[in-house]
Amino acid sequence: MNTCVGSSTLHTTNLILSSLVPSPLSQSITITGAGIVSPLGMGWRANEASLAADRIAFRPVDLFDTREFISKTAGVVDLPAENLFHRFSAHKQTFFDRGTRMLLLAIREALAQAGRQNMEGIDAMVIGTSAGAMPLGEAYFEHAHLEAGRVSSQLSRAEHYQPQRQMSSIAAEFGWRGPIIIVSNACASGANAIGWAADMIRSGRAKRVLAGGYDALARLVFAGFDSLHALAPSGIPRPFDAQRDGLALGEGAAVMLLEAEDVRKSAALGYVSGYATATDLHHLTQPDPAGKAAIRTMTTACTQAGVSPSQIGYINSHGTGTPFNDVAEAAAIAAWAGDAVGTIPVSSTKSSMGHLLGGAGAVEAVICLMALHGQWLPASLNVREVDPAVHFDLVRHFRRSALDHALTNSFGFGGTNATLVLQRRSA
Amino acid sequence: MNARNIRIRGVGAVSSAGWSAAAMHEAVLAGTPLPATPCTRPGDVRSWPCESRFAPASPPEKIARHPRLRRSSAITRYSVAASLEALADAGHDPAAPPPGLGILFVMMNGCVNYTGRFYNEVLQNPAQASPLIFPETVFNAPASHVASFLGVDGAVSTLLGSPNSIMEALDTAAFWISSGIVEDCLLIAAEECDWLSAEALTYYHPKLIGSEGAGALLLSASGGGPRVSDIIGPLGYLSWQERCDLLPELAAQTLAQVQGPATLINDRTGITKLDHAEADAWSGRPWDAVLSPKYILGESMGASSALQLVLGTLAVRQTQQPVVISMPGANTAAYACVLTP
Repeated sequence: MNTCVGSSTLHTTNLILSSLVPSPLSQSITITGAGIVSPLGMGWRANEASLAADRIAFRPVDLFDTREFISKTAGVVDLPAENLFHRFSAHKQTFFDRGTRMLLLAIREALAQAGRQNMEGIDAMVIGTSAGAMPLGEAYFEHAHLEAGRVSSQLSRAEHYQPQRQMSSIAAEFGWRGPIIIVSNACASGANAIGWAADMIRSGRAKRVLAGGYDALARLVFAGFDSLHALAPSGIPRPFDAQRDGLALGEGAAVMLLEAEDVRKSAALGYVSGYATATDLHHLTQPDPAGKAAIRTMTTACTQAGVSPSQIGYINSHGTGTPFNDVAEAAAIAAWAGDAVGTIPVSSTKSSMGHLLGGAGAVEAVICLMALHGQWLPASLNVREVDPAVHFDLVRHFRRSALDHALTNSFGFGGTNATLVLQRRSA
Repeated sequence: MNARNIRIRGVGAVSSAGWSAAAMHEAVLAGTPLPATPCTRPGDVRSWPCESRFAPASPPEKIARHPRLRRSSAITRYSVAASLEALADAGHDPAAPPPGLGILFVMMNGCVNYTGRFYNEVLQNPAQASPLIFPETVFNAPASHVASFLGVDGAVSTLLGSPNSIMEALDTAAFWISSGIVEDCLLIAAEECDWLSAEALTYYHPKLIGSEGAGALLLSASGGGPRVSDIIGPLGYLSWQERCDLLPELAAQTLAQVQGPATLINDRTGITKLDHAEADAWSGRPWDAVLSPKYILGESMGASSALQLVLGTLAVRQTQQPVVISMPGANTAAYACVLTP
């Protein structure tokens, strides 16, 4: 019954879209480098090994006091202790946020993979973040409350709280002076940034763009999700489990070096073949139960990529593990895929590393690229009993699989929905 | 940049001068800085002076009613009011916005009132921090509220950055329109000022006065209204000195595009130390008029470049001459743009 409803909805959606989107903008964008830092590890290889081992990365948070919170664990990144920026003093680096450091490492990996030593020739940097350098803002707030007089270090906190100032420090590390665009659409930020960059190339405004997203754990954000009772009390998220009870937070960064299709084709790792964004007006923090905006973004992104749902070999779902999100996304996937839903493998890698917020869409896009490259599927872990809303092939353990196209969904507070479609290099 | 030839069909503004673009225009033309008031701290303990120019209270007719706006903070109310004014200015019924509308939102600090309030609750007792406030602290909450108010379910995005990031948003709006992703685009930049923001500005210079507001522009590919005829930049820099050094180049590139009488809208704060490089860069040409909205209204941070664009649009309509807008930025890149009839 669900598949019949799905087919009908898809048909209607296509009719609506055909009147709204006259240009398919179908040029694929080449990915020539990728970098990833996540709680599962530093870099492509470490993350691939962790995903292949079905490893989960949750542990007690020691970055701030969690005693009063329902959940006390998260996916925490083990950052190297040494100074990561070579052009700044150790003192200056105390004002560089954890998220910025993760992003720097991801950028270095992406550039190295693309055979580059620096950012010369890159036309723009488009980065998504939800919290920016929130810990700097927290420190500014606390000092302002404690001190009646002027505190000279507050200038540096105020200055470095601004995400563009943090990004500027990365630009300075490479001696690069290009435009920095920071997208902040909550948990869709990273996916939107990659889509934004792809659009810049498709429209001819750029040939080569570094795009991705990041977010680091911050006390205010942790407290916010705790206040919403959105965090799993056990600390273990169980996306698509019938008894799921919340998400786990995480932190990380990922970037892709995107280039025009005709540039360095021999160096392609894969392609960004489709992107769409839409707005769910249902509620500031809760999705429309039918996932109507998600249906639109999946349909439009696949139309742009020139693929049908049955050609999608893997979906990295938004899959937070919250009751509302997962059932809405499952409904959307069923409606979008129609008869093909049972054949489409789906998982949520948030089950192993947590929800990386503004970094999630970028990290999950890079995981899709890794899956396409390695011909494997990462798992949705921690599932005990599959939710009855799930009609797709829920990947519960790492498996080998042949796939040419992967899709990733990102949904954020405020109703921002984004879908990216990636294509395997040889497809 | 591809934004050339996009039309600004309607504008709206909320600023320390009042709840309309006309009020801001009038105040800036008058040329006298608006009065500033002491910005109080909780407990009123501060050992140095800190002033601000807040937006006045909303006139009753400017209070929009919608379930989403019940607990939204000032930045959203400014944004909704400016957007409705821009739609009406373009001849649309604000109650029935044009189909295919997109929204691009730009900010620097965002929802500081609720963010400060929520974090204060976290410090007091995390277990009692309000779940109603937290979602309002997220950077894209204002854009989401405006979208909900106007029923915009297509492309809506928020950018963070220096005020002149609005030029990147303008470029993307032009792409969205030209590619059919949207038919028209509301470009909004807004900021609200709290005591923490106002104090932060005094660390940059003791006489820098915080302000707030929103500017909104309705952009279309066709129809009437001033045209964005040139965008110069971004010219990137990594330090204040580099910024000072490249502003003459920004001015030279811009002035090469402008013939005949023109108006300059600059970024002047009234503080020589902050202004001199920009003033020197643009000094080699006679101007019919030079307008300095930041000097009159205060430092409205993320909203300031949008207010320049709104003012520029009104100036083009009034003079039927080109308007040059200087947006040197503060920490990443400099831009300028030229508006023509």
